[in-house]
Amino acid sequence: MTPRPELDPALAPPFPVAALNILRNPQLRKNVAHATDIIQAKRARLVAEKKDWQQLRSAASEIRAHVLENLGAYLEKFENRCIAAGGIVHWAADAAEARQIILDILREEKADEVIKIKTMTSAEIQLNPFLEAAGARTYETDLAEIILQLGNDEPSHIVVPALHVNRSQVRDIFARTMGLPNLSDDPHALADAARNYLRRKFLDIPTAISGANFLIAETGAVAIVESEGNGRMCLTLPRTLITLAGIEKVVPRFRDLEVMLQVLARSATGERMNPYNSLWTGVTAGDGPQRFHVILLDNGRSSILTRPVERQTLKCIRCAACMNACPVYRQTGGHAYGSVYPGPIGAILTPQLTQMHHAQSLPYASSLCGACYEVCPVKINIPEVLIDLRAQVTDQERRRLNRFLDPIYLGMKIANFLFSRAWLFHAAQSFGRIGLAIFTGKDGWIHALPGLGAKWTQTRDLRGLPSQTFHSWWDDRAREAK
Amino acid sequence: MTAKIPSRRAILDRIRIATQPTADNPVLLAGAYAILPRTYIRTGHLSAEARIALMIERLREFDAEVVETSPESLPAAIAAQLVASGKHTFVAPPGLPPEWLAPGLDWKIDKGLPTSEIERAEGVVTAAFCAVADSGTIILHHSIAEGRRVLTLLPDWHLCILRSSQIVETLPEYFDRCPQPPALVTTISGPSATADIEMTRIKGVHGPRFLHVILVRDQGGQPIVH
Repeated sequence: MTPRPELDPALAPPFPVAALNILRNPQLRKNVAHATDIIQAKRARLVAEKKDWQQLRSAASEIRAHVLENLGAYLEKFENRCIAAGGIVHWAADAAEARQIILDILREEKADEVIKIKTMTSAEIQLNPFLEAAGARTYETDLAEIILQLGNDEPSHIVVPALHVNRSQVRDIFARTMGLPNLSDDPHALADAARNYLRRKFLDIPTAISGANFLIAETGAVAIVESEGNGRMCLTLPRTLITLAGIEKVVPRFRDLEVMLQVLARSATGERMNPYNSLWTGVTAGDGPQRFHVILLDNGRSSILTRPVERQTLKCIRCAACMNACPVYRQTGGHAYGSVYPGPIGAILTPQLTQMHHAQSLPYASSLCGACYEVCPVKINIPEVLIDLRAQVTDQERRRLNRFLDPIYLGMKIANFLFSRAWLFHAAQSFGRIGLAIFTGKDGWIHALPGLGAKWTQTRDLRGLPSQTFHSWWDDRAREAK
Repeated sequence: MTAKIPSRRAILDRIRIATQPTADNPVLLAGAYAILPRTYIRTGHLSAEARIALMIERLREFDAEVVETSPESLPAAIAAQLVASGKHTFVAPPGLPPEWLAPGLDWKIDKGLPTSEIERAEGVVTAAFCAVADSGTIILHHSIAEGRRVLTLLPDWHLCILRSSQIVETLPEYFDRCPQPPALVTTISGPSATADIEMTRIKGVHGPRFLHVILVRDQGGQPIVH
């Protein structure tokens, strides 16, 4: 068993360190490549058949941008309508406040058990360990989340959180934790095991926690997008429902779902429409939970709004198309990002949610190839935000006193000195050629360097210096012409 | 730990400082919303026949069983489906037409049935609000003929009666049919499914595993399939 991955940005190791371990795990890489290949192919096929895809993308992007520009008004409208429909609205400035609000509701309900629909936001605030420590058992009900919960593992993807686990690993987890020694590794048998494991819990546990895909300002309704039906169970059977939603999740009108649902299903799972969408408005007499709480979570989001370039980060509708397309994510999987939000969106969202106090290595976990931007259904220009965040990280480093000891800082200072004096530059070139000669192979490539240079040659070769510089070639050419 | 009201004020203040003041003027806000670009396809272009054929094709791709019938022979078609299912205990919403309740079967009409009773039923029969051919989606607004949400959730077998006049081609056309936003919506695109284990699609995790649709030709036209 591998140790549990650390997804708290405050404690996680930097991306290159975490990634190195994973790159040495061929099984995990195989599982991630397999899953992302399949989703990407399905998505590509369904996007290609959609004649108005780019128009839908533009509309989705503009609706989300409009919401963010006017977020205060739409949130207040949502709150107002939700309360009018019988809901109770709470506001949480940070993770700790949201956790406490949820715990207080559970205590009020005298609930020591709770069923949960997959919600990345609850993982963001590390809700489960908090509730367990306070004596409330949490039961995840999404198949992937069950695999992770029972396997003492963490999500590595925001739509298919257990995509790094293969069927025989799932079999082992279920056989061990559900007491089913004869379970086969056929996915159907595994899904059946989960169905049986959960059926009674759905019927017996009267309190549920969900996230939200969309909050509708016009009506105060909440929408959940899902495939398995575990969401419908949690939204329908319990007496009390608690919905935890980031403040950015609001859309202006019910009608806007005609855009959002179309782009989300195709982008997330490569389906024309996912099996189930549920929408409810406050409390409906005789149908579903009769007590309904919504917690509107800030936790760093309002600070992202203040920067015009970074604001687009909050347009995200959590489809995960960016990670499926990302050449970095496809090699490392999600755990290397040290956050519940991995991949390109995680690389821009996580450091900002921590107000740039943590996860400063993530904006560099990208080749800036732009594949994420191309597939994003709400047109978040992720490379643009990455570059801006890199500048912020550099500014932070510049403010630190010990920067004088940083090899990169020293190297840049020395380079600046050399490069601004032609005679020194030429001398350095000559020395460099002599110095590097002993490391240069017969094929003209440098395969291994000592010291700091090893950081480069660990993962790629370096072309050796040519026998002649451009300057000396130019001089020779002029001389010959005479 | 801060109290609820201060956090609300603090969050909204932070948002207001970060965003535009137009947000506080309802007229400007409505104006900005109205000019958002909506150049995507809103109305379909298929003929009524092609639209129905597409809906049937999509449903079959989901492994749903589809039969077509005329309004006159609907009760007989329902009875035939129920008998063929081999099941005996069914639940039905209170607004279902009485002639749909085929005789000789154990019917429980949901006038506030306890969950345990719904759980014990082998199947459920309901009407629908609308269907979207483009994605094969059936949409319920949970009226008295469509039933409470739990009714179409716990039984493993769902027979949905769909009228051809309820089928639209595109998702925006469904929204055209909602002059007032509904309080409850469930959309169903095939039976419950998961791809969480190695992206292998598995039918029937928690919701009904079997979806049957009877398509009633209430706008004329010849049945496409039998």
